[in-house]
Amino acid sequence: VSTRSPQRTVERWVEQNGRKAGPLIYGVFLLFLWLPIFVVSFMSFASGEGVLQFPPNELTLRWYTELFSSPEIIDATVTSFKVSAIAVPISVFNATLAAYGLERYAFRGKSFLWLLVLLPLVVPLVVTGTALLQFLNQIGLGSGFVSVVIAHVVRGIPYATLVILPSFLSFDKALEEASMDLGANRIQTFFKVTLPNVMPGIIAGALLVFAISFNEFVYTYFVRDTTTITLPVYIYNKIRLGISPVINVISVLFIVIAVVVILLAVSATNIERVATRE
Amino acid sequence: MTSRLSVLMERREWASLALVKSFVQGSSSLRIGLILGLPSLLLVLFFFIPLLSMVRLSFLENLPPAPYTLSNYIEVFTSEIYIGILRQTTLITILTTVLVIVLGYSFAYSIVRWSKRTTYLLLLLILPFWTNYIVRMYAWINILQQNGVVNWLEVTLGLTNDPSGYLYSFNAVVLGLVYVWLPLATLPFYASIEGMDESLIEAGKDLGAGPIKTFWTVTLPQTKNGVLAGITLVAIPTFGSFVTPALLGGTNILMLGQVIDTQFNQAFDWPFGAALGTVVVVGVFVVIGLTQLAGHSAIGSRGGESP
Repeated sequence: VSTRSPQRTVERWVEQNGRKAGPLIYGVFLLFLWLPIFVVSFMSFASGEGVLQFPPNELTLRWYTELFSSPEIIDATVTSFKVSAIAVPISVFNATLAAYGLERYAFRGKSFLWLLVLLPLVVPLVVTGTALLQFLNQIGLGSGFVSVVIAHVVRGIPYATLVILPSFLSFDKALEEASMDLGANRIQTFFKVTLPNVMPGIIAGALLVFAISFNEFVYTYFVRDTTTITLPVYIYNKIRLGISPVINVISVLFIVIAVVVILLAVSATNIERVATRE
Repeated sequence: MTSRLSVLMERREWASLALVKSFVQGSSSLRIGLILGLPSLLLVLFFFIPLLSMVRLSFLENLPPAPYTLSNYIEVFTSEIYIGILRQTTLITILTTVLVIVLGYSFAYSIVRWSKRTTYLLLLLILPFWTNYIVRMYAWINILQQNGVVNWLEVTLGLTNDPSGYLYSFNAVVLGLVYVWLPLATLPFYASIEGMDESLIEAGKDLGAGPIKTFWTVTLPQTKNGVLAGITLVAIPTFGSFVTPALLGGTNILMLGQVIDTQFNQAFDWPFGAALGTVVVVGVFVVIGLTQLAGHSAIGSRGGESP
């Protein structure tokens, strides 16, 4: 005797057809994520000035050559690389120390240090950015290149710590003990045993912090001065004035950098490590 | 003079030698200090103290030295403009969070249950996320603007002949925010569904529950912490966002973050901007408090043994 309530009919239908919905759901979802990126890449070949119309009348490579002949864009790119070249090593060095200390030692104030590491990941960027701006002004440092580097370090350390920490967690400490039993001191053990073992994590951390630093906008926007224009700040200012085909080309540059960095980081560790971002 | 200097230098050398020696030999509190001193100092000096000093500034009449006042907060909570912006920011945050949960959870669920190429799908999920934020917003400008992709589709399909676009609207801002935070929130959803004991689902079915009932009574409660982590990951940055409303909402749709930007970069009323920033921080703590009430620590869920 079957009671054919509507609820039961729905349940049965889902039971029989639900599986088919899976690929449909993630197909549509991924299309939604990637469509804008395809559009930007496609529009980087669009001819026409000012207002870009879809579909473009003609395709051209003109904007790619324009990219390399604009002193403003070259300046911004150089500034971006300069900031990252200084901020990334500082961040990774400090994050490695922080991850090592947090993983290995129990001490008073440890939960406060955890708070210091996690809170910058939680507080909205606009708040930390303006807080940093007014603080740096109060201590007389003001805005400029040094302030931008400091801001990037503040963004980099917490994230890199979370990426590097699992390497210390999963590392077999018996190896360290063996090294010390064989007569090596702590420092030798750290450099000869511990460091090589956690290196993949540190490399992944460095790559991801570079990606964060190179893409960083909000902190930079608040503590920069007019001579320290990074590439994201440049495109933000440009976009506020209106749409421009050169921005599409720079966008493609950013997309390529993201893909390269992420693939390298994934190959240094694994997808799960790279996928954690808080 | 020179001799005093050399004595001083000698002393310092001796001191640093002693440091290295004690590092090698024991004295763990000194060792901890050497390891964690620099990162702690940087974070305290350039993150923690700036935040505290911003809260202090929000109670000042002007840049210090200046007398204390509550006028900045009174302005935030009595002016109709700012109350309206606060309300709009909250509404956009709630709407964005709900949409991200529904979409992200569906995606995470479908790749865990119905796909074997999870690694590639995760890669396809995180790559857009690592693409520059402004670039992603710019992509949506391309799509939503006058004569953009959406207009072209509509005109081609004969739905409309008004190609005025959808930029600078409430919907554009919500769409942009959903797009930006979707991949980020999907990761904790994925982790919690992945880590769930699938035999519980079988048990639910054996006990006669259909797939929908099993989902609501077994799967969703089991993955609650992932959902809560996702909520904090989306709600907090959305509440403080200013790039997305600035680029997709223009001057039509204002959020708190934009007003903070205006106060610091155009109006130069820093104490008032600091008060707005403090309101955002309070909002952050409200979100954290609510999710904590609703379950276990959602924030530290990824940080290993976080506080």
